[in-house]
Amino acid sequence: MSVLIEAKNLGKTFVDNSIRLGPKRAEVRAVDNVSFQIMKGETLAVVGESGCGKSTLGRLLLRLIEATEGHVSMDGKDLTNLSRQEMRQMRKNMQMVFQDPFGSLSPRRTVAQIISEPMDSFGMIRDKSHRRERVAELLELVGLPAIYMDRKPRQFSGGQRQRIGIARAISVHPSFIVADEPVSALDVSIQAQIINLMQDLQESEGFSILFISHDLAVVRHVADRVAVMYLGRIVEIGPKDQIYAAPHHPYTEALLSAAPHPDPTKEIERIVLQGDVPSPTDIPSGCAFRMRCPIAKDICSSDNPKSVEIMPGHQVACHFAAPHPITNAQRPT
Amino acid sequence: MSKPLLEIRDLNVSFGTKDKPLCVVNDVSFSINPGEAIGVVGESGSGKSMTALSILQLVPTPPARVTGQVYFDGKDLLQLSNSELTSIRGKEIGFIFQEPMSSLNPVMTIGDQIDEAIMLHTDLSADARRVKVLELLRLVGMPDPETRIDVYPDQFSGGMRQRVVIAIAMACNPKLLIADEPTTALDVTIQAQVLDMMLDIRKQYNSAIMLITHDLGVVAEFCERVIVMYAGHILEDADINSLFASPKHPYTQGLLKSVLTLTEKQHRLYQIQGSVPPPGTIKEGCPFRPRCPVRMDRCAVEMPPMKSYGPTHVAACWATAEGVE
Ligand SMILES: Nc1ncnc2c1ncn2[C@@H]1O[C@H](COP(=O)(O)OP(=O)(O)OP(=O)(O)O)[C@@H](O)[C@H]1O
Ligand SMILES: Nc1ncnc2c1ncn2[C@@H]1O[C@H](COP(=O)(O)OP(=O)(O)OP(=O)(O)O)[C@@H](O)[C@H]1O
Ligand code: SF4
Ligand SMILES: [Mg+2]
Ligand SMILES: [Mg+2]
Repeated sequence: MSVLIEAKNLGKTFVDNSIRLGPKRAEVRAVDNVSFQIMKGETLAVVGESGCGKSTLGRLLLRLIEATEGHVSMDGKDLTNLSRQEMRQMRKNMQMVFQDPFGSLSPRRTVAQIISEPMDSFGMIRDKSHRRERVAELLELVGLPAIYMDRKPRQFSGGQRQRIGIARAISVHPSFIVADEPVSALDVSIQAQIINLMQDLQESEGFSILFISHDLAVVRHVADRVAVMYLGRIVEIGPKDQIYAAPHHPYTEALLSAAPHPDPTKEIERIVLQGDVPSPTDIPSGCAFRMRCPIAKDICSSDNPKSVEIMPGHQVACHFAAPHPITNAQRPT
Repeated sequence: MSKPLLEIRDLNVSFGTKDKPLCVVNDVSFSINPGEAIGVVGESGSGKSMTALSILQLVPTPPARVTGQVYFDGKDLLQLSNSELTSIRGKEIGFIFQEPMSSLNPVMTIGDQIDEAIMLHTDLSADARRVKVLELLRLVGMPDPETRIDVYPDQFSGGMRQRVVIAIAMACNPKLLIADEPTTALDVTIQAQVLDMMLDIRKQYNSAIMLITHDLGVVAEFCERVIVMYAGHILEDADINSLFASPKHPYTQGLLKSVLTLTEKQHRLYQIQGSVPPPGTIKEGCPFRPRCPVRMDRCAVEMPPMKSYGPTHVAACWATAEGVE
C-alpha cells in the first residue's frame, strides 16, 4: 500500500486573544509535533477528549489553517509550500465532512446548491441541467430521493443532513476525506446507517479517511489504524486490533476502560482517572499526561517521552510503555 | 413489594391547538420504587425530557397541555399549587437539567448557589449551612472544597460544574433524583468520574434515581430497570438483565443489535431502516410501524397494549404478543 498523506513534525500554536496572562497573550498549543502517515484507501481514526486538538489536526492536513511548524504532503507533494493557485487545485482531492454539515451554511440555500458548491468552484458543472443530473445521482448514491434537491436544510433530520454533507464531499471524487465527528450528533439507530454508508462509499470510491471521533466503539468499527491524542500530542498510534487488545499507553488504557459497556451481566473493573485535563495554555512539563497518570514517576515530569516503535507500525510515547492487556474483567468478550 | 415512591399514570403532553394537537408524550405510565435506579432511554425527541419535566410541572402551560396523574407520597403533583410544589422541588425531588452548563448562575459563587438550595428548605444557621455546603462539595468529589467554595462557575471545567449541579440537586437529601443526561456533555474519562461519584451518593443516601440518557452503556452500568421510549410512547419497561438478555420490542431489539461495542467485530452494522417520524405524524397504531421489520396489518390501526413477559418485563408490540420473532 502506498502513502497518501504524510504529516511531519506538525505543530499549531493559537494566540488566544480572550485570555491574557499579564501583558502577554495566552498561547494555546493545540497540536504539538505530530508525525504520521495515511495510506491510500485507509481509515485512520483520531480519538481523544474534548480540546485535545483533533479538529485542529484535521484542518491542518487540509491546510484550512496554516501550521506553525512542520509539513504535510499529499502524494509526495509538500502542501506547505504550494502557491494559492496550486493549493486550489489540490483542494479538489481533499474534502471535509462535519458534525453538522449545515451548521455553517445559509438556511436559504437549497440542497442542490449545497451539494454542487464544490463542483461549481472547480468548474465541473457545465450547465443547469447538468447540475441537476449530478445532484440527483449523488443524492441517490447516499440513499436520498432526488426530489429532495429543491428543499431547504431545516426540513431534514440529522441523519439526512449528514447524508447530504457526505454527498457534497464525494461530489468531486476526492482521494482524502477528513470526517470530523460525522456521527456524534446522531441517534444510535441512525449512526449505524451513516457508518455503513461511509464504508460502502469508501469501498467503491477508494478514498482515505481521517476519522475524528471521541467514541471508541465507533472507532473500533470504522478504523484500520488508531491515533490517540492527548493535549495536542499523539501518545499512541497503531493498528486497531493491537490498540484495542493491548494498549501500551496508560492513557489509552484508561480511555478504553472508561467507556460504558452495554452489557449489564459483566462487572467492569474501571480505571477512574483523577483530575481534569490540564489547560492547553499551560501544558505540564515532561509528559503531558503525568498529572493524571496512575504510574507516573519522577522522569515523567522532567522528560517529554519520545515516541518509540514497540512493534512494527505501533508507536507509543510513554517512559513506561508496556502492554496493558485489557483483561476479561475489564473488557468482556 | 413496597409501595412505589412515584407513580405516573396516563401522562399526556401536547403542543399545538386543541383541534390540531401535537402529542409529544402519549399515555405514559410507570412507577419508581424507593431507592430504585431507573433509566429512561430513547432517541432525540422521543419525549424523555418532557416526561421528566412534567413530574414537577416544569413544562410551560400554555403552550403545552399536560394531563394525567403523577402520585408522589400519596399526592398528585399535577394538582398542586405552585407554593405547594416549592416544598417538594429541590427538597423531596432533586432535578438535574439537561443543559447543566447553563443552569448555574455565572455571577454567584458555587458555595452561595448550593447554600441557596439549603436555605430554601431548612432553617439551619449560616454557619451550619456552610458546613453542609462543604460536606456536599466533598460528597461530589470536589478537590480542595475550602478554596473552591468561593469560586465562580466559569472558573470550572465541565466536569467540575456538573459536580456542583449534582451537589445542588442533592442538597436536601431528596427521595428522588431526576437526572436528565447528566454526563452527555462530558468526556468519557470525566463521565466515568461523575458516574462513579453518583453511584457512591446512591449508596450513601439511598435516593431513587431517574436517569435519562441515550447511552445504553450508561444504563447497563448504572440502572436496575430501564424504560424505552419512542415517539412519545413507552415501548418497553424491564429490569436491565432481562432487557439486555431478551429484548421484547422490535425497536429495542434493533437498537441492541446496532449498538457498537468495544469488543465485537461485525463486518457490517445492523441498521434499523428509516428515521424517527416527526412528532404528530403518526396518530394511529404503533409509532414504530414504518420502520418495523415484523409489522402486521393490525399495527397500523391500534396501539398495542402493554403485555407482561415475566414479573419485571412489559412491552407493547402486537407481533411479540403473538409470538413472532
Ligand atoms: N481559532 C482558535 N483560536 C484559539 N484557540 C483555538 C482555536 N481553535 C482551536 N483552539 C484551541 O485549540 C485546542 C484544540 O482545539 P480542537 O478544536 O482542535 O480540539 P478537539 O480535539 O477537536 O475538541 P472537541 O472534541 O471538543 O471538538 C483547544 O484548546 C481550543 O480551544
Ligand atoms: N415548545 C414546544 N413546542 C412544540 N414542540 C415541542 C416544544 N418543546 C418540545 N417539543 C417537542 O417535544 C418532543 C419531545 O421533546 P423532549 O425534549 O422531551 O425530547 P427528548 O427525548 O428529551 O430528546 P433529547 O434526547 O433530544 O433531549 C420533541 O419532538 C420536541 O420537538
Ligand atoms: S510517560 Fe509517565 S506520566 Fe506519561 S503516561 Fe507514561 S508513565 Fe504516565
Ligand atoms: Mg473538534
Ligand atoms: Mg431531552
